Amino acid sequence: MKTALRVSSGPRIRDALRVSSGPHVRDSWTTSEIMFTVALALLPAAVVGVWVNGLHALLIILTAIVFAVETELLFDWFCRHPATYKDGSAVVTGLLLALSLSPTVPLYIPALGSVFAILVVKCCFGGLGRNFVNPALAARCFLLISFAGTMTSYSVDATTSATPVAALMSGQAVSVTRMFLGGAGGVIGASIFALMLGGLALWVFDLISGWICFSILASFAIFVGLFGGQGFDPHYIAAQLCGGGVVMAAFFMATDYATSPTSQAGQVIYGVLIGVLGGVFRIFGSAADSFSYAVLVGNLCAPALERYLFPKPFAYRRARNKRMLALAGIAVVGVLAIVCAYSATKDTIAANRMSGSFGPYLTVFPEETPVEAFDATDEITGAIEALGGATYGSGFGNVTINEAYAALDADGNIIGYVVSATSADGNDGPITLAVGVNPDGVVNGIVYTDLNETPGIGMRCGEPEFTEQFAGKDVESFTLGTDIDGVSGATVTSTATVNAVNAALDFFRTTLKGGNV
Amino acid sequence: MRNTFRGGIHPEERKELSRNSSLRAYDAKGEMAYPLAQHIGKPAKAIVQPGDTVKVGQILAEADGFVSAHVISSCSGTVKGIEQRATLAGPAQTCVIVDNDGKYTPAARWDKRDVLSALSDKDILERVKAAGIVGLGGAGFPTHVKLQPKDPSAIRYVIANGAECEPYLTGNDWLMRTRAEEILDGLTVILRLFPNAEGVIAIEENKPEALEAMRNAAQGKERIQVLEMKTKYPQGGERSLIQAIAGKDFKITELPADAGCIVDNVGTIYAVGKAVLYKEPLCVHAITVSGDAVQEPCNLLIRNGMSFAELLDAAGGVKDGVRLKKALAGGPMMGIALASLEIPVQKNNNGFILLSVDENEKAERQQTACLHCGRCTTVCPTGLMPFMMVDAAERGDFERYENALYGLECITCGSCSYICPAKRPLTETFKDTKAAIMARKRAGGR
Repeated sequence: MKTALRVSSGPRIRDALRVSSGPHVRDSWTTSEIMFTVALALLPAAVVGVWVNGLHALLIILTAIVFAVETELLFDWFCRHPATYKDGSAVVTGLLLALSLSPTVPLYIPALGSVFAILVVKCCFGGLGRNFVNPALAARCFLLISFAGTMTSYSVDATTSATPVAALMSGQAVSVTRMFLGGAGGVIGASIFALMLGGLALWVFDLISGWICFSILASFAIFVGLFGGQGFDPHYIAAQLCGGGVVMAAFFMATDYATSPTSQAGQVIYGVLIGVLGGVFRIFGSAADSFSYAVLVGNLCAPALERYLFPKPFAYRRARNKRMLALAGIAVVGVLAIVCAYSATKDTIAANRMSGSFGPYLTVFPEETPVEAFDATDEITGAIEALGGATYGSGFGNVTINEAYAALDADGNIIGYVVSATSADGNDGPITLAVGVNPDGVVNGIVYTDLNETPGIGMRCGEPEFTEQFAGKDVESFTLGTDIDGVSGATVTSTATVNAVNAALDFFRTTLKGGNV
Repeated sequence: MRNTFRGGIHPEERKELSRNSSLRAYDAKGEMAYPLAQHIGKPAKAIVQPGDTVKVGQILAEADGFVSAHVISSCSGTVKGIEQRATLAGPAQTCVIVDNDGKYTPAARWDKRDVLSALSDKDILERVKAAGIVGLGGAGFPTHVKLQPKDPSAIRYVIANGAECEPYLTGNDWLMRTRAEEILDGLTVILRLFPNAEGVIAIEENKPEALEAMRNAAQGKERIQVLEMKTKYPQGGERSLIQAIAGKDFKITELPADAGCIVDNVGTIYAVGKAVLYKEPLCVHAITVSGDAVQEPCNLLIRNGMSFAELLDAAGGVKDGVRLKKALAGGPMMGIALASLEIPVQKNNNGFILLSVDENEKAERQQTACLHCGRCTTVCPTGLMPFMMVDAAERGDFERYENALYGLECITCGSCSYICPAKRPLTETFKDTKAAIMARKRAGGR
């Protein structure tokens, strides 16, 4: 409506007053500001990634971003849509994809990934806010399937090495500090410190949901604590949390608006689902990419969570509260059930685990006094370390002492010792055996833990007729032919065995001082 | 009692523009126009003829039916005609036009104070009705109707709404700072009608002077307490206050009385006190003239019926070197954008905001697709899912809008539109959709 107004003391108002529906004030956040802030939050991780991995990482990041933006631009142009590339969401997708790639991938990988992310996952499903899974993650999984070799080759200092998570899962020691700071290898965006910096900032500015990210981190931590096999060891949990894109997934991938539920209850369940699935995939499946798949599955469940956890208006919520209580009750019961099952089976699991690594040692102790635990006292550990893996003593051939333990009964009393020794003088390679000794020096028995001799000849040393000859004897050292009858035709193996046993007994008498340390 | 509700937003307050300008009276000089429909309910029936001489406080049009209110002359002069004029309700509304003689000759003397205990409940309600009082907070619901719930003894709280949560507005702040005793008089009158109720004066914490003034005045008064509320929009919404104070949420089909509450703006309560104790009709009320395009932002006690153009003049006109782009009747969240300033100020207008920038124009340029970020659901004071509602409304799926998404519960407070980073036209769509559904229901004979 064009109305010229005359206000007596004011200037003539020639322009029509603007008419629009309220509200007439707006919050300052816009879509593109949010997107560029998310990109900014990813910047520390990108900078550390480039600094650690070199210029090629920068090229990967730039390629991914450029191809993501260009794809959206071309799609909009081709479909005659209004251009949306300026809203910054393509930049975020490209950056996220690049940061989740290995720093050694050739440049066609990020280019192809960005095109897939934007064209297939985003634009074809309706563009901004309509993608059904996180585009960057979908592209990463697409690349993982298509270029498995290239995608999973990680290198640090030009030597190929396992990612920290792969190392962790195969039982090797990892440096949590290096993982936290970002020098431990893995993808470009591997610096947990840098990712947390950006992620926490987004949370503080209320741009991402704390319900999602913290429920993922907490549920994953609890899951690996329960089922990771190492209990709630802080170092182990921290290493699990710092590796394999958990933090990136929790703060940047799972919190993608379009593919996560909006209701609080939905967000918590969604987060727990991702955390637990990530744990399942990590521990029972592919270690390094577990969270990529966990978040994708979470994304696919989000619409259902949104639908079934639809929050009614406050005035209608009474009945709903009951349902929420029931839901919470079920969750609590479930958690309790898991905890009960865990504590009920804990001892069996522990025993099974004992029989896994210590199992052979158990056989060198009498059955009537079962061993509850093997304990390496500081003195024993110190003595073993002092040997430094060198050839033990003289007259035993090439024998090394590996480890020794005091065997404890249920009350914690020492009921004997076990000493493990390896002789390199076997016919077909080293022989490792353990000798069980009573505190009074009587040999309880021996057991091979590593015997790879010629079948039918050297391997016959492993039969009871040979090994049982050692039990119940209290001698300074065994002599083949006198105290022990060798296996005929297997003199080399028999000799090596007797030498290893003698060395173990010598270690027991001299270093452990007959058990008096 | 909590001191806030769930959801809500924190828009820039911008109250500093007018918060230091003390409330002063301004008597209009120009022609006055009194729309017959400036309240919720049936329009009043004109009882004057062109040529009649009228005085201040004289009834120009009588309430027609139960839910209706008198229209009262706020000036003295001659009735010029009963014409169709553009008002806030629409481009052609019946108005009584009075040629203002500028003398303000009163129809009666209103300086004798009656003793409340001498009045019956019926007297009180009749005096409120006779004074033509409607809700001054913006809605304009006839107050004498509000004060007659089915069961007065079931009312547990009479809430004096001094939250004033809209940005810019400081009129009620000043009313409370300078007329605390009179507001308490009004609250005491209303509490007389509800023997089991407690009076709660709810004020946002950003008004320390008003809080202090009301606390001082309320000291030692029985059944009355002052409650400091969190500064958050829409704290002053009826439902927000009831949620905070009575802990009850109610449906769109329910009334505050169903939750045991009566909520009245402090301006309304002030007018009730005057009407019952002094028989003074509602002729003047407080209004804030503010915004970056006005010369002297101020708080004025004005006479309803004057034009917005004259009100702008009273505040010094448009600021030098600034182009007026938008004029709002009411606050910037729920106020109405004026197409012309030549329309009358109504009883229920508590703000007149003049802006040099139209933020909605900027928002239109920044509009993108919905991000699904969920901010709208977080801020909704009713607990709705605006991003789903707008989707259903745009597809014309009224069934889903109304029944699955509870879209009729929307109070169109504007919080979702305010917060939306994609600048989607949420509240706008909900206003239209609600109107369309209601119209369809009426047409369907329901």
